[in-house]
Amino acid sequence: MSVLTNGKSGEEYLVMGNDAIARGALEAGVSVAAGYPGTPSSEIIENLARIAPDAGLYVEWSVNEKVALEVAAAASFAGLRSICTMKQNGVNVASDFLLHLGISGTRGGMVIVPCDDPGALSSINEGESRHFARLLEIPLIEPGDFQEALEMTRWAFDLSEELRMPVMMRSVTRLSHASGNVRFGPLPGAARSARFEYDGPFLDPLTGPMVTMPVPVRHKNQQEKIRKAEAIFETSPFNTYEGPEQPEVLIITCSACSLYSREAVKELGLGERAGILKLGTTWPLPKKLLKSRLAAAEKILFVEEVLPFLEENVMAAAAGFMGETGLKRFYGKADGTIPESGELNPDIVIAALAKITGTQYEPVAHEYARTAQEIASKHATVRDLTFCPGCPHRASFWIIHNVLELDNRKGFVCGDIGCYTLGLLPCGFGTLKTSHSMGSGTGLASGFGQLRRFGMEQPVLTVSGDSTFFHAVIPAMVNAAHHGSDIILALLDNAGTAMTGFQSHPGMPVNAQGEGAVPLDISEICRSLGAAVETSDPFDLEGTERKFLALLERGKGTRVMVLKQPCALSPERKGKKLYEVRVDPAKCLGDDCGCGRICTRVFRCPALVWDRDAGRARVDEVLCAGCGVCSSVCTNGAILREEAAQK
Amino acid sequence: MKDFGPARLAEEVLARGLCINCGACVSLCPYFRSHRGRIAMMFPCERESGRCHAYCPKTEVDLEAASRFVHGTGYPGHGIGQYREIAASRAAAPNEDSPVQSGGTVTALIAGMLEAGAIDAAVLTGRDGILPVPAIITDPAGVRFCGGSKYAASPTLSALNRAITEGYSKIALVGTPCQILAATQMRIRLTEQGHPDPVALTVGLFCTWALDYRKMEKILAARTDINSIISMDIPPPPAAVMEVRGIRDSHRIPLEEIRGAIPESCGYCADMTAEFADISVGALEGSPGKNSMVIRTIRGADSAASMIQKGRLLTEPYPEGSLRALAEASSGKRTRALSRADAAGMLNNTGESGSYLRLNAGTLAGILAR
Repeated sequence: MSVLTNGKSGEEYLVMGNDAIARGALEAGVSVAAGYPGTPSSEIIENLARIAPDAGLYVEWSVNEKVALEVAAAASFAGLRSICTMKQNGVNVASDFLLHLGISGTRGGMVIVPCDDPGALSSINEGESRHFARLLEIPLIEPGDFQEALEMTRWAFDLSEELRMPVMMRSVTRLSHASGNVRFGPLPGAARSARFEYDGPFLDPLTGPMVTMPVPVRHKNQQEKIRKAEAIFETSPFNTYEGPEQPEVLIITCSACSLYSREAVKELGLGERAGILKLGTTWPLPKKLLKSRLAAAEKILFVEEVLPFLEENVMAAAAGFMGETGLKRFYGKADGTIPESGELNPDIVIAALAKITGTQYEPVAHEYARTAQEIASKHATVRDLTFCPGCPHRASFWIIHNVLELDNRKGFVCGDIGCYTLGLLPCGFGTLKTSHSMGSGTGLASGFGQLRRFGMEQPVLTVSGDSTFFHAVIPAMVNAAHHGSDIILALLDNAGTAMTGFQSHPGMPVNAQGEGAVPLDISEICRSLGAAVETSDPFDLEGTERKFLALLERGKGTRVMVLKQPCALSPERKGKKLYEVRVDPAKCLGDDCGCGRICTRVFRCPALVWDRDAGRARVDEVLCAGCGVCSSVCTNGAILREEAAQK
Repeated sequence: MKDFGPARLAEEVLARGLCINCGACVSLCPYFRSHRGRIAMMFPCERESGRCHAYCPKTEVDLEAASRFVHGTGYPGHGIGQYREIAASRAAAPNEDSPVQSGGTVTALIAGMLEAGAIDAAVLTGRDGILPVPAIITDPAGVRFCGGSKYAASPTLSALNRAITEGYSKIALVGTPCQILAATQMRIRLTEQGHPDPVALTVGLFCTWALDYRKMEKILAARTDINSIISMDIPPPPAAVMEVRGIRDSHRIPLEEIRGAIPESCGYCADMTAEFADISVGALEGSPGKNSMVIRTIRGADSAASMIQKGRLLTEPYPEGSLRALAEASSGKRTRALSRADAAGMLNNTGESGSYLRLNAGTLAGILAR
C-alpha cells in the first residue's frame, strides 16, 4: 500500500519531491502517466505505476521521451488529464513533438515534468530544459520546496486546462531526490471518461481536429495564451517575497536555489537588508510583479543554477521599464558572481551575498580549511567510479578490449548511455572512445563504417544496452544496415533498464504496471534488418572472445553481438551467487608471479583485494557477487570457483 | 646484460614494427598474446624486468653470449656460422601423407627421437588452414602433421613456454633462426638462474624471410579458398614463384607480389641458416628431395648419428659447390641486415639507448666491410 493513495487529506507526510509530484498529479485527477526512465525523474512514474491498477490509472514506461509525450498527449486530446516525465535531456528527444503540441494545444490538463540535473550528478550533460519552454512557447513553473512540488503539480493541470496548452513544471535533483514534510490535499472522486472529438469546426480547440495548421492563426493563438498565462502569473501565490520593502539587495531566485538563498540571508544576518523574490512561474515572467520589486531595490542578485535563464529574461524585461524603476546594478552569471555550471549551494550564495553587501564571512578558519584539505588529499582513499562486483559489463568490456587488442588494427568502440558509459574509464579498460546521447553510439558507428573509402581501416564497434536499443538505437541500426556500414553492435543485454532501477522496456514480458506485455526480441529485430547476429554469455570469457573475433574477422556489413547476462543488482540476480570464489594461497604467487597483479590492478573488480600483508590477492566474500569471471582472468589458475549452493 | 621490462619491449619492438611473432613472449603472463600472426600487448604491465624482454630475439640480443652458450666460442660472423659437419640428407622412409619440404629430414629426425625416447616432447608448428599453429607433440605419429613450410611467421615459442611449464624436460624445438635465437636466450637465462636446460635439441630451419600472416592470407584468399590449400613451396631460382597446391586448384604466385608481405623485421635478420641451432636444415638447391643438414654441436651430431644408425635418415657427402653457394647466400643476408641495422643506429649502443644486437666490434667491422 502506498502513501500516495492512503495518505489523508490535511495530514503531513515525509516524502520525496518526486512522491510529492506524483501525489499532486493524483490530487489533480490524472488518468495517464508516461515517461522514460532517467535520474532524477524516474520515481514519479515508478510510484504511479505501482498504484495504477488500484487507482484506475494507465501508466507506462514508453520507448523514449518523444513517444511518452505523444502517449500523454493522446490522453489529453481525449479529455483526460495526463503527466509526462523525463530527465533534462529527454526534453531534447521530445522537443519536436512538443513544438507542434504547443501550437495544436491540448484539452485535458497536461503537465510535462522534466527533472534537471545541475552538476550532472547522474548525467553526462548539464542540459537545461527551461529554455525549451521559452523556445517552444509554453508556460514554465518551478516549485521551490516539497509542499510546492505537490501544490504546483495539482495547479499545473488546472492551468493547462485553462490555457488549453501543455504546462512544463521543472524539477531538479535536490528537489526530486530530497525529502521533506508535505501536507496532502484531497483525492478527487469519479474518473473522467475518454473520447476524442474531431468533427467540430476546424479551429475549435475542444471539438476540431488537433493540428497545427493554419500555422499563422494557431501560432498567434498560442502567443495569446502565453499572454494570458502572464496575467495569471502576476497574482500567483507561488511567486513570493520575503524581506524588507526597500531591500539593499534583491535576490531573484527559483527552484531549490530559493532554499539556498534563504539560508544565505539567515546565515549572514541580512534579514533587514536583503529581500528574496522567489519566482514559481518562470516563463512567461510576471512583469508587473517584477517591476514593482525592481523599483524598490538597486542591487539585484540572480541565484539560479546552470544557465542565466531568469537573469537574462528579467534583465530583458527590466530594460523595458528602466525609465520608471531607475538604473539597477545586476549581479549574477554575467559578472561572474554566480557560476554558470555545476550545482549551487548555500556557501556559494553566501559568498556572493557577502561580496555584494560587504559582509565579512568565513565559514571555517582559513588555517583549518587548509589543513583539512591537506589531510583529505593525503589520507582519503581514492575511489574509482566503477562497475559493481559481478557486473556483466566488466566482463563484456574485458572481452571487447581483448578482441580489439588481438585484432591489432586500432579498432575502437563508440559509446552510448547506461551504466556501461563507464566503459570509458579504467573499470571498462578505457574501451569507449566516444560518448554522447542515447543511440548516438550506433549513429556515429554508422558514419565511421562508411569511411573505408577514405582510407580508414580501423574496425568500428559500438555498444548499446537493451533499453537504449529500443529508445534510439533502432533508427541508427536501420541506417547502418541500409547503407551497409561495416560495424559491430555489441548489445549489452542485462535484462532491464538497469542504471535507473530496472524499469521495464519493450524487450521485457512485463510493463511498468507489472502486467504481462509483448516482449520484442532484439536479435530478431536485428536479423530482420539483415544483420548477422551472434549471442553469447559474457561470463564465458574465452568462448565469447572466440565468437566475437570470428564475427569481427569473417563478417562484413552490419553485425550484432548480443552479450546476455542479467545485471548483478537485478531482482533475479541480487544476492544469488553463481559461484563461491576464493584465492588459493598456494597458487597465487603474488608479486613473484609474472601477472603484474592483473586481477586487482587491471580487472579491478571491487571484490578482489590486494592483501599487502600476505603479498597476494584475496576475495572479499562480502563484496563478491559470485560471477566467477575472475577465475578466468588469473592465468595461473589461482582464483578458484565452485558452484554455489542455490538458496 | 641489463634486464628490461615489457614497456620497453613494447616501445623497442612492437611500436617499431620489429616483432616477428616468434611467440617467445607469449604464454609467460597474461599480457602478450599472439593472434593471426601478430603479437598484441593486452594491457600495460608495470614490471621493470621480464622474461618477455629477455627472450625477445629483436632487442638487446648478445650474439657473443648466444654463441658462447651454444658453441663455446664467440660469434664468428662469416659463412654459415659454427658447424662440425654438413651433409645432404633425406628421410629413409618418406611419409606420403606429409607435405614435407625437400627430403623430410626434420620430420624423420624428430619422429625418430620421440620414438627412441631421446626427447619427451617436440615443439613444432602445425597448421590450421594456412595459419601456422604452435604444437607440443609427444606422439611420433603426430610429427608428420607438422611437416612442410608454413611461410608465415609462427608463434611457435609460445608452445615451448607451455611445454616448459607443463614439465617437459627433454624438449626438441624446430624453428626458424629467430626462434632458435630466442630459445637460446631462454636457455641462457634458465641455466643462469640455476634451472636445468629443458631443451634437448634445437633444429633450425634455413630462412631468408617469413611472411606476415595477414598479408599472405590476403594474397592467397584473392586466388583460392585458403582452407583448401594442401601445401606451399618456393622452388629454387630462377623460378621466382610461390607454388600453392590446393584440393581443387593450384596457383603460381609471382615472388614479386609475395615480397610485399615480408615483415620489416626480416630485413634486419642476420641469420639465414639458424647458426645457434644444434642442427640446421634447409633445402639442397639443385637436388629436389634432399636437404642440407648442418651439424653444429656435439648433441646435434649425436642425435643425427643415432637416427642414421637407426636407419631413419640417409646422408651423403655435401656437394662442394653447394656449400660455397650456401655460405655466400648466408654471408650476403648477414651483411645486408647488419648494414641496415648499423645505418639505423641499432647496433652496439652504449648508455641508456637500447641495441637490437650486440657483437664484437671487430667482427661487425668485418661483416660490414664484406
